[in-house]
Amino acid sequence: MKFNYFHLMPWTDIEEVDQDWPVANKRFVPDRATALYETYIDTMVYAEECGFDWIGCNEHHFSPYGLMSNCNLIGTVLIQRTERARIAMFGNLVPLLNPIRVAEEYAMLDVMSGGRLIAGFMRGIPHEYVAYNVAPSESWERLEEASELILKAWTEPEPFGWEGKHYKYRAVSIWPRPIQQPHPPILMSASSPESARFAARHRAKMGMVMLTDLDAAKDCIRIYKETAREHGWEPALDDILIGAHTCVAEDDEEARRHLGGGLDYFYHVLFGGPRTAQRLVIQKTRFYEDEANRRNIGTRLAALRGTTIEERVDRGLVLCGTPDRVVEQIRHLKAELGHGVMNINMKIGNIPNAVVRRSMTLWGEHVAPAVRDL
Amino acid sequence: MAFDEHRVDLSGGPLTYRVAGEGPPVIHMHGASGFRETAALAALAGSFRIYAPVAPGFDDTPTHADLASMEALARLDAEFADAVIGETTDVVGHSFGGWRAAWYTVLHPERVGQLVLECPSGFREDGDGGLPSDAAELQRRLYAHPEKAPPETKPEPVLSRNRQTPAQFHGGKAMDEALVERLGEIEALTLILHGTRDGVVPASGARLLKSRIPRSFLIYVYDAAHAIEVDQPEFFVGLVTDFFARGEAFLVNPGVGGRAA
Repeated sequence: MKFNYFHLMPWTDIEEVDQDWPVANKRFVPDRATALYETYIDTMVYAEECGFDWIGCNEHHFSPYGLMSNCNLIGTVLIQRTERARIAMFGNLVPLLNPIRVAEEYAMLDVMSGGRLIAGFMRGIPHEYVAYNVAPSESWERLEEASELILKAWTEPEPFGWEGKHYKYRAVSIWPRPIQQPHPPILMSASSPESARFAARHRAKMGMVMLTDLDAAKDCIRIYKETAREHGWEPALDDILIGAHTCVAEDDEEARRHLGGGLDYFYHVLFGGPRTAQRLVIQKTRFYEDEANRRNIGTRLAALRGTTIEERVDRGLVLCGTPDRVVEQIRHLKAELGHGVMNINMKIGNIPNAVVRRSMTLWGEHVAPAVRDL
Repeated sequence: MAFDEHRVDLSGGPLTYRVAGEGPPVIHMHGASGFRETAALAALAGSFRIYAPVAPGFDDTPTHADLASMEALARLDAEFADAVIGETTDVVGHSFGGWRAAWYTVLHPERVGQLVLECPSGFREDGDGGLPSDAAELQRRLYAHPEKAPPETKPEPVLSRNRQTPAQFHGGKAMDEALVERLGEIEALTLILHGTRDGVVPASGARLLKSRIPRSFLIYVYDAAHAIEVDQPEFFVGLVTDFFARGEAFLVNPGVGGRAA
């Protein structure tokens, strides 16, 4: 089994609940952020030393819950400071961006890293569409067209133009082209049946960054595999990534206290503003085309907010406890889901960085060696 | 805009052609299913005078003796252009017509201003693609949006004969090596259009043309199969009109007001 170390880079200096969207940045303190970026980047670099196979970057906008508005910038730093870990992008939010720019920057990252890029073609979550003023109801068709255009930009040896519904270019010939041939592996979100189908149709790795329900995860994996077979290919083990919030500590109680506190802070403080925009998008647009899916997502997210850490542990949705306990939990998840990559997010909300670092060390010394061969 | 049917007597026999529109002259060379008055072609006739010569044998027209190669067809087209138009024209060729237009431009460069090759056949590496006999598969290869295709009005015997006619000119070959060797002679500014879902001509054919024709541009038309004019008529008309109007400057975004400068 492979492991990805994922980091949201949250801003952790606010205490009050803010439900407005966008979240006012008057409480942002640049000097403090300089220190946070330094800490967070050091932490991500340390992941390689702790045995993580991938290091995951992501893209979020206009919110204190994630300071990585451009994952490619962080990826550039990481490839300079790591040697073997793959850099897995849980951005770029392709429908919101210029696809040619995405193709170029990914190609640069791939070449500069010697072929370590896993290229995310992400649709993004609802509030990002408000941030970048793109119609949420166009998200799927933009993702579809942009994905095809990026692949063309990577693989076409002759200059070409593109005449499409959302993108028009008369002459494209990017320099550099990627080092991985025919192109870097693609990672797409697959947290719903429709996104699982989409990822499989595009021969992408599927990612469920955060488990919300084991049965729902099984369903998405089944749909992903079935759709892949319908399209003539068989997913490999490391094409299926499942994520869990994680805290490893010397004793179970300490781990639960830290993870529970961090999750409360994340859901009730950091995610308040984005939730407001998310509610608007889900209620007022066709971001989720399928009505049942729309209801499920809303219900699931609301339920998750009110779930205690004990319930999360019992339902197998988080990895939390001593190294031995976490090994057990990973084995259980593997038996249930049959995935090949785990996405590990340890900096949840305001969990202190020293606690995160200790969790990583315990992971590297005790957990990774025990689960490597799963 | 309706096309009028005309006939002209040439050295090998009569040639049927269709005409519509006013403006600079453009020759349109039809595909393997014969002349089709698509909405895109009608829209193009809003800016150009379109001449559409029907290759002898298509659409129930008489064949010409000794007209048994793409080169001979190109010579006939030159005779037609001299007799009916009498000046240099821009040329658009679709599929079989693109193959025909490429030979026409190679053999008669002085008669061609700018050239548009829309999914030209004759450049199918390893025989990939082509026109299958299974009707459902044929539809899939031709159209990304079959619901946009105009209703079929030609009787089955004509359609059947149309299906047989192209081979009388090209002998059924998938790759025209002789033409490939001469693509470098094309001096006309050339726009190559390829549908991203084309199941008849693989993208490698478009790429080959782009690599061989010196002053050429390749544009992929998204969500279009082989019949770009049918699948994405607005894209097709916009591209061709802009290309003919602005030449190589069509690479430059003209801005909101429509002027690059």
